[in-house]
Amino acid sequence: MQALLRTFWFAAFTLSEYLRSGRIIVELAATVAAYYLFFRRWTLPMTPDYFFSTVGLFTLGLTVYTGSTILALGDRPQGYVTLARRLGRSPYLIGLYVSVLVVSWGVYGIICLLIALTNPVSGLDIAGWMLGTLPLLLNLAMLAALLTLLTPIVLPAPWRLAVLALVALAFSGNLISGSTMSSLPEPVALALDVLRTVLSTPLLPAFTGFAISVSRDYSGASAVVPVAQLFLVIGLLSLAVYSFARRELLFSA
Amino acid sequence: MDVITLEDVHKSYDGIPVLRGVSLHVPRGIVYGVLGPNGAGKTTLIHLLAGFLRPDRGIVRVFGDENLQQVDGRVGYVPERLRYHTHYTVREYLFYLGRFSGLAGAALRRRVGEEIEACGLTSVVNRKMSALARGMVQRVGFAQALLSQPELLLIDEPTSGLDSEGQRDIIDLIDTVRQRRCTIMVATHFLDEVDFLCDRFGILHGGRIIAEAETRALRQSSRSVVITVADLPSSTAVALSALSTAVCCNQREIILTPNTPELQAQVLRLLLDHGVSIISLAPQFHPIEEFYRSAVRGEAGRHGESDASPPPPGPSGTGDTLLRELLRREDQRTQERQTDEP
Repeated sequence: MQALLRTFWFAAFTLSEYLRSGRIIVELAATVAAYYLFFRRWTLPMTPDYFFSTVGLFTLGLTVYTGSTILALGDRPQGYVTLARRLGRSPYLIGLYVSVLVVSWGVYGIICLLIALTNPVSGLDIAGWMLGTLPLLLNLAMLAALLTLLTPIVLPAPWRLAVLALVALAFSGNLISGSTMSSLPEPVALALDVLRTVLSTPLLPAFTGFAISVSRDYSGASAVVPVAQLFLVIGLLSLAVYSFARRELLFSA
Repeated sequence: MDVITLEDVHKSYDGIPVLRGVSLHVPRGIVYGVLGPNGAGKTTLIHLLAGFLRPDRGIVRVFGDENLQQVDGRVGYVPERLRYHTHYTVREYLFYLGRFSGLAGAALRRRVGEEIEACGLTSVVNRKMSALARGMVQRVGFAQALLSQPELLLIDEPTSGLDSEGQRDIIDLIDTVRQRRCTIMVATHFLDEVDFLCDRFGILHGGRIIAEAETRALRQSSRSVVITVADLPSSTAVALSALSTAVCCNQREIILTPNTPELQAQVLRLLLDHGVSIISLAPQFHPIEEFYRSAVRGEAGRHGESDASPPPPGPSGTGDTLLRELLRREDQRTQERQTDEP
């Protein structure tokens, strides 16, 4: 309970600094720009598919920026003052993560509100909105957890590179396929195929989550996807917390 | 039981050794100084004790515990270079940091109020951290470190980057903190800080503590004192010479060689009785500086280094003004001891 309370206070502390320092202006400006560019269409009614796919991609992109900025706030020598107390390392890291989520989800909320007030999505009721929103928010949570894991205070540089290489390998299907794949020696092609399948498995919830968000179709095995997303979030965060607890604290100067 | 125990502690960054077998013991209730030039590894030592770093080899114990996570809350930390969050007011900042320390409700309000007053922050409590003078920011640093009433206070370069007035303020503040009976470790490169604040100190050089000394013992070993006066009447000079053969004087100066506290007190009393204006009182050499030089020279000699007499780690700049202040405090303490005695 004490740890939860400290996590809450540290997240509030970080968000407060984020707001007061004016960094939040970037998110607000991007949100307004996105609204005017993609959602303020007067001639055609907006479809749910268009809304969820566009807002899904926009918030993912913005989460990368917000995550990098907020996590960088945690990688300053000021962190020594906060960590020299009873706060603990897990509440520190999770507090930073929660701050990223609050901003990302907040941006999503603002966009939804603006659209609902000025250009409502045709054929999308509250239930449909909630069905599309759940996997979308979980995707943002997953991305934020991955960014937390890849922060310099959590993983050393070689490990970060290794994780990024694995992610790249999982995505390599788009680059190495068809004729390129067939030109490779058979054992290499087979090994690459197996490796891709294994490595891309953890990414499945992210992709299917995005697809469900757009289609809002939870039939069959799709209902399990949000649970898988949640497990992936917990897995990534646990890994980050475990690594951070064992690392030496050498904040960036 | 020692509050701090370091045994053969080694620490390196990317293969570059910083600490090469540091061993030291700090008993409860003293102010211990780690004296060394910039880059000697003082901050690394403090960070090891705060649990931010782990030693490559050796033992680091705080309150007898090797698991430093267990002693969180019993240790206060004042960082170097005034690295604090600047977007809050002093009160907000202390409230947040108090909450991180596990304080809440009335206890939090009480502790924040007490430290604001104790650290002299009442006038700036609603001011933003970014708008404070450096000396005031350092006061906030002390207030935050003392919020949880730590038994051990780790202070890293407390006066670095402050002007001489700011330095004096912070030294006075630490002097009041020592009265709380908590153990204090100060990492510094200023000889004067060691002189004023520390009961004991170690010289960190070449990644090791090469020498340790009690500051009081060193001060007492100071052999000569020069008292400069406005004008010494010949009758007073005769009276002074009659006190001891250790007194040697001319019209402007009185030199006590060897000096003892009793002789010094006698001379000062006589000068005051004769209405002689005292301009300054200074030792003929700075005992801590001499100790530092000889320790480093000895260490360099052992390693065959060519420069056997490096400069001391920092300026002892404020000279006899500081010494006078030191003597005033010593007198005050002696008086307090005497009044305490039945």
